[in-house]
Amino acid sequence: MDKVPLKYSGLKAWEIFISESQERMSFVVKSDRIEELFKMASDFEVELTDIGQFTDSGFLDLRWEDKSIAYLDLDFLHDGVPKKHMEAEWKKPVVTEPTLKENLDYNDILLKLMGSLNICSRESIIRRYDHEVKGKGFDSFKGIAVSNGILPKFGDIDAYEMSAGSFDEAIRGIIAVGGKLPDPKNSENNFWSVNDNFCVPDSAYNPKSNPDGKYKLAQLVRMNEALFDMSTFFNIPMTSGKDSMKNDFIKEGIKISVPPTILYSVAAKIKDVRQTLTAEFKQAGDLIYLVGKTYDELGGSDFYKLFNEIGANVPVVRKEDAQRIYHKMMEAHDKNLLSSAHDLSDGGLAVALAESAFGGEMGVSIELPDNELSVNANLFSESHSRFIVSVNPEDKDGFEILFGNDVELIGKVNDSQKVQISKAGKMLIDLENEALLNAWRSGLVF
Amino acid sequence: MKEVKGLVVTGFGINCEEEMAAANRLAGARADIVHLSEVFNEQVSIHDYDILNFPGGFSFGDDLGSAKVLGNKFRFKRMASGKLFLDELKKFLDEGNYMIGVCNGFQALVKMGFLPNAGGHFEQEATITHNSSGKFEDRWVTCCVNPNSKTPFLKEIITLDMPVRHGEGKLIFKDDTTRQTILDKNLNCMSYADKNGNPTAEYPQNPNGSELNCAGLSDPSGQVFGLMPHPEAYLSAYNHPNWGKIKRQNPEMSDEGAGLKIFKNIVNHIKENS
Repeated sequence: MDKVPLKYSGLKAWEIFISESQERMSFVVKSDRIEELFKMASDFEVELTDIGQFTDSGFLDLRWEDKSIAYLDLDFLHDGVPKKHMEAEWKKPVVTEPTLKENLDYNDILLKLMGSLNICSRESIIRRYDHEVKGKGFDSFKGIAVSNGILPKFGDIDAYEMSAGSFDEAIRGIIAVGGKLPDPKNSENNFWSVNDNFCVPDSAYNPKSNPDGKYKLAQLVRMNEALFDMSTFFNIPMTSGKDSMKNDFIKEGIKISVPPTILYSVAAKIKDVRQTLTAEFKQAGDLIYLVGKTYDELGGSDFYKLFNEIGANVPVVRKEDAQRIYHKMMEAHDKNLLSSAHDLSDGGLAVALAESAFGGEMGVSIELPDNELSVNANLFSESHSRFIVSVNPEDKDGFEILFGNDVELIGKVNDSQKVQISKAGKMLIDLENEALLNAWRSGLVF
Repeated sequence: MKEVKGLVVTGFGINCEEEMAAANRLAGARADIVHLSEVFNEQVSIHDYDILNFPGGFSFGDDLGSAKVLGNKFRFKRMASGKLFLDELKKFLDEGNYMIGVCNGFQALVKMGFLPNAGGHFEQEATITHNSSGKFEDRWVTCCVNPNSKTPFLKEIITLDMPVRHGEGKLIFKDDTTRQTILDKNLNCMSYADKNGNPTAEYPQNPNGSELNCAGLSDPSGQVFGLMPHPEAYLSAYNHPNWGKIKRQNPEMSDEGAGLKIFKNIVNHIKENS
């Protein structure tokens, strides 16, 4: 341990051993190559230190100037941790759907949604990182699609649906750009990987310091059940992850715990990036379709949040429906039937339409489908496994035959630079792109 | 026909060497990525190459200002045999060869006096400092080429979209005389442009507030060219943030990115003049 180079003098041996200082890495090198490696390190002005070797003793043997300071059995190091027993108790929260007033101002609501923190542009952060370095695209057209799913807002209603929905959100992001679901029979398309990243409150029950620990642990259990169900159903491996399990904060006697949160980060192989698709509308005259079914699922939505409501009808993942729709999307990509595809998520249909309109500097005119759902649900429900796509009119028949009852034609792309949405001839939303873009950009500025 | 050879230096925090080497190769040159220590230790000689590429990155962590340490290293480094590296660079140009610096590589060329080199004495005549916005920014910009520039790197290019990815990209010239010489000799070969393709001082089309709206400089011979934007980040048409709409409106869009033109220009120029 005395050979480990230090930035600060005076560290104790145990501090050196467990320090997590950055910008270091360890190598295992065959003894006959050490001299060569040191020469290379010296040429490249890289600090390199020989700090030990493997033995067959079966013990971790730490020394300070040859004096033994720790000697630990490897069996103990690997298997010595005693198993913890914890109690979980799931009680479904009592929640109800709110009653909102009639005749809402949907222009005002959509502008507020565009600027809300879950939906607004992250430009002020994204621009401040070099997100293009090493982005090659010159020696092959193979690519990797990357997507994330995170919906902590649903956890107050049901942590299972929160976790399952986040998983679906990550998958549909990949499907939208042209990724293919894993197919064990075709290894070419088989590379998928999910990282799960847990961020949850302390879930060890304690009658005084953590009286709702059993419920919190039940939430964690349900998050994991959803993870298992989704991962095995879609045949997508969880290759790595990270967890942060005690996210509680006490100030002036008041304890604040994070909502149970899981982030799924997905990467999937793309055979040819030239076949991928972007989300913005591209050409006046293209037809706009809503893919997938909308349900009365405003529970936990950003729409309800504007009214300080949570609601009860949390979006539910219908795995079989999702799988059928994703396979149709994959086929539509293969047949080049799509001009754009945008998955629906926070803010629902209205927000996705606005993003695709100003993203392509186009306009849209939309007639909401004639169905039993309320206007609120049609515009803002966050039901999973849905997309808006635009289609060249030449491909109308091929597209509609492929999707059948899984799509509805809802409007057209135009040059107006406006988002106009009506139902049964009554105009609900009529906004300039510029107003929507300004609202979207104003949510997170620093 | 002569094989054109590009040397791409790396090490000490340079991080765009792969893209630079690909740009050389796609343009028809051979490209070798070489650690600067191998050059200083004289295991590799710059004189075996036609093009010396200084890629972008964060050399020496941008301590003391972007590329300040790297620029000084180039200026004052004695090689293994005792030769001053600076003399080798001058000799490289005397032999009629070419240098390109992108972003951090451009900052180094400016701080070591190779750009704009209006006076011809390899003295520092300009610096590159913090963007007027005060922030690091990654954004795509349009650049226009000075039609009177004679550097072969920019032949037949009128405008070019590229990403800028820097916190210190604001060019400031030493004095009015330098500024005037730069204008007289058309060393301000590339400017940030508005949507009509004209030089602009408006943010964010001009992302950093450079004097003369300058995005790139050449030396009076045209052999040395450097720029803040990254042409090597636009080798594929699919690098462009708006490729989706471009392709929908023009299904015959080429797979090639417009940034490659700069590298094709110099490789073809060397071939034609050899």
